[in-house]
Amino acid sequence: MKSDQLLTKTAINVDDILVKRNRDKVSHSIFFMVIMALVLWSVNVTIIEDTDWERMGSLGEVLASAGRFIGVDFSLIPNLLEPAIETFMISCLGTLLGVIICIPATWFGALNITPFKPITYPIGRFMMTISRSIHEIVWALFFVAVLGLGALPGIFAIGVRSVGFIAKMSAEAIEDIKLGPIEAIRATGANRFQVLLYAILPQVIPQVIGVILFEWEINIRRSAILGLVGAGGLGLVFFRQMNTYNYHGVTTVILAILVIIIFGEIVSHFSRKRMI
Amino acid sequence: MSVLEVNELRVRYNAGSPEILKGINFEVGENDFFAIIGPSGAGKSTLIRCINRLVEPNSGKIYFKGNEITGMSNRKLRIIRRDIGMIFQEFNLIDRMSVMDNVLSGRLGYTGNLRSFFKIFPRKEIEKALNLLDRVGLSDQVDKRADELSGGQRQRVGIARALIQGPKLLLLDEPTSSLDPKISREIMSLIKEMATELNVPCLCNIHDVQLAMEFCNKIIGIKDGVKMFDGSTESLNKQKLDEIYLMEVL
Repeated sequence: MKSDQLLTKTAINVDDILVKRNRDKVSHSIFFMVIMALVLWSVNVTIIEDTDWERMGSLGEVLASAGRFIGVDFSLIPNLLEPAIETFMISCLGTLLGVIICIPATWFGALNITPFKPITYPIGRFMMTISRSIHEIVWALFFVAVLGLGALPGIFAIGVRSVGFIAKMSAEAIEDIKLGPIEAIRATGANRFQVLLYAILPQVIPQVIGVILFEWEINIRRSAILGLVGAGGLGLVFFRQMNTYNYHGVTTVILAILVIIIFGEIVSHFSRKRMI
Repeated sequence: MSVLEVNELRVRYNAGSPEILKGINFEVGENDFFAIIGPSGAGKSTLIRCINRLVEPNSGKIYFKGNEITGMSNRKLRIIRRDIGMIFQEFNLIDRMSVMDNVLSGRLGYTGNLRSFFKIFPRKEIEKALNLLDRVGLSDQVDKRADELSGGQRQRVGIARALIQGPKLLLLDEPTSSLDPKISREIMSLIKEMATELNVPCLCNIHDVQLAMEFCNKIIGIKDGVKMFDGSTESLNKQKLDEIYLMEVL
């Protein structure tokens, strides 16, 4: 008896379902049309109207321009060794600096361990956000302006730019840990530092190392272009080749960048396997 | 003389939420193996965590060897915690550390920050850890990582970790609930044997009445945060049990 009443009360009319389905279809179509209009408008403004079609010339001319890059300037190779090593060093030291800055950022920015939530948590989150929302080239421009030309501003740019990702992922790993081991270590009479050391860090170390290695790989890529704004490494050579219209030289630098990136990936792959 | 005295203990987790413990009283004596029984959600885990203040009680008093634990400063509390060993349902070992390091972590209350950072423990403590691991039957697993062990073995590490503290009281929070019936009985026997040998009173949460009757000399039963029974194991009869577990039977 009672269940019958429930049924009639909750039962939905077929007409209602059809009306709702039609309404959904109409709103979906409107949404789709709005998106299409936006895309077409963007194509018109940014591509059709904004491109210098005269200078680009015919398809043949475009291919010919691209063809100029095919070829390697072997005479450049001896001059690449030092900048390549410098690029690699910038990425290593930059990542290391980033990890050091990450320690307070992670500590403050993880909800469950932040020392004084109303103040330290926003500070930690702010450090992560500002690091990520500014491009590495912009950071490099800033540090070149502050510290002058050379590898040092590059290291700072990479370091500061790395904080966002490493600290955010580490803080999230810390927020996801199992609470049991923390209880167990607290119950032995351990202090907060010991709890961090014995109950929290062992749970997140593999993840954190993985994140650092990943960020380091990205940092090799980043440091390869920092020379464009005067922050040392292969980017500077790249810039010079481009300015002197030595297109084969440009290709050579790109290949050199590729080589150290692949080297970095190999190193990262094996250290990941060993450490995790 | 009682080792532990709990008076009018009340707990609620948040200001608006219902009370978990509604005025609990009991005393644990020097030679007691004391069981807390009751259905899931009765407040057993909360109760046992109040003893070493992993959970902060809202009101009521707890005395451990005459010292009032409630209202104690954090520094003093850490010193008291060194004397109270705890064994957990989910073992709560540090998965990525070795069995030896897990046992030694029971000594953290006696270890400085710098030494704990480098995991430097005195030779005597390592010796003691080895002895305990031998007693719980794991002397051949010293270097294994904790997550390589089986459930029963992990709980044995948990027992060694609690005992290396040299505790004056053992808190057992459902020590057998994650184990099968045979291993459960083995673990309970081991705990009882070690506790008797070292003269440590135990306070044990356990929902398995059979095991409680078998191993414990005193029992309190709680239901919905209220004490329903308090007495020796012999005096617990079927009628009392039905009262405690009424909710579950329905």
